[in-house]
Amino acid sequence: MKYPELETLKLERVGPVGWLINNRPEQLNAMNALMRDEFEIAWRTLDADPDVRVIVHTGEGRAFQTGVDVSELATDGVGMERYRESVEAWDLHFTAWQNDVWKPVITAVNGICAGGALHWVAEADIVIAAGDATFFDPHVSVGQVVSIEAIALMKRMPVEAVMRMAFVGRYERMPAQRAYELGMISEVVDPPERLREAAQELAEKIAKNSPAAMAATKRALWGALEHGLTDACRAGAKELVGMWGHPDQEEGPRAFAEKREANWKPLSRDAGGADRRGGAAGVDQSTDG
Amino acid sequence: MLYETLRVERRGPVGWLIFDRPEHGNAMDARMMAELEDAWPALDDDPDVRVIVNTGSGRAFQTGLDMVQLSKDPETLREQSRRTKHFTLKLTAWHNDVEKPVIAAVNGVCAGGGLHFVADADIVVAADSAAFLDPHVSVGQVSAYETIALVKKSPMEAILRMAFTGAHERLSAARAHQLGICSQVVPADALRETAQQLGETIAEQPSDHLATIKRALWGALEDHRSEPPTPESVIGEPTS
Repeated sequence: MKYPELETLKLERVGPVGWLINNRPEQLNAMNALMRDEFEIAWRTLDADPDVRVIVHTGEGRAFQTGVDVSELATDGVGMERYRESVEAWDLHFTAWQNDVWKPVITAVNGICAGGALHWVAEADIVIAAGDATFFDPHVSVGQVVSIEAIALMKRMPVEAVMRMAFVGRYERMPAQRAYELGMISEVVDPPERLREAAQELAEKIAKNSPAAMAATKRALWGALEHGLTDACRAGAKELVGMWGHPDQEEGPRAFAEKREANWKPLSRDAGGADRRGGAAGVDQSTDG
Repeated sequence: MLYETLRVERRGPVGWLIFDRPEHGNAMDARMMAELEDAWPALDDDPDVRVIVNTGSGRAFQTGLDMVQLSKDPETLREQSRRTKHFTLKLTAWHNDVEKPVIAAVNGVCAGGGLHFVADADIVVAADSAAFLDPHVSVGQVSAYETIALVKKSPMEAILRMAFTGAHERLSAARAHQLGICSQVVPADALRETAQQLGETIAEQPSDHLATIKRALWGALEDHRSEPPTPESVIGEPTS
């Protein structure tokens, strides 16, 4: 599949792994208006490519990402106002989660990860980082509110660490090792230069598994952040049952018995499942308080 | 009920529920599923048992459904499918509404459906040789109930990584301890004694208090939204 040429991002495929690379290294990969639009194109492109089983997101240069491009905001006379409508309508499209990507997504944090960059930590499935990567959230130090990315992080890791990051702002940085201890990330790669190699290896392991089963699993597990335990299990039941009769359920045990690689069905973009923001599939909403 | 696939016994105030199909990695066959449904309520109803420890015989803790055996038993498989579909499983303490504290003592490999018993326990201790993995997606299966509960109880990233790497990666006992998935790791030959001691320590508390606390804390994993729990829903109706 031929990928579009983008100005602020790079797209490439290495084997079964689609790479999305932030590519404004001189601006520490800060997101300007163009990059914001190109993210949607990039996620949809990789999601639609049947040869891509797993997506890795990383950055060029010494930063992974540093949030919104503040110099553009400060100089173009429009500022944050240009984003008011989409934020108020909760109509955002710069992360995998916001674009309903159900392929596994690995964020590989190659350096500074600041402020809005935490969106791609909070909304990835798996996060690994170079040994010299750092995490911090300078929003409050420049008079901005932090909410969406910190809320998502609080759902998936110890809350105290997120609150501290939110309130201390730019005056403290969390090293990769601490992020590992907290379970915010699962791997610290040293030497840091080996990060992309480590990400590719991890992605290739994951790419050996059934794409359809992983998509349904991803929907079920992200549902655990939306609902209470029992409701999330009921919604998960729909994902479990939805896989019954799928050819991969025959192929998996057969390949295992024959000691060979499984020949999975490729994932189709519209392969069912509950809409992420549409409430719990199969949950009786009338029981809500 | 005379158990064939479980050993159920009591040592002092601690009831033991031990998976006992070591030659099959303690995988659940039809018989074990029926016995679990019997054994959890039996231990919960035994007034001499104040805390329950769940562990396995042999090298594995628990490795999920025994699909080889179940594929020869279509009736049980059909019933199990029905229960999966309607989320009416009766495998774990949580499924069986056990009110007493439950300690999972993970003595070895805990794979796939075995994670139910870690996710649904109150306290988890592990042997240093224990390992956790979820091979569902490597054989074309969806991982849901057990990993949903683990996402609720643990840092999510580690669970997503386990679910997506499938058979190709294992989470060590040491890492599970760092992440708070288990609270204690001991040498394998000290595991049962550790669990027994922990059980006896907890058993010193009044049983009705423990049951109240358990109900309240598991309630925190549910979604009560804007309707706060009433005192009755937490501490139960007064008994006269």
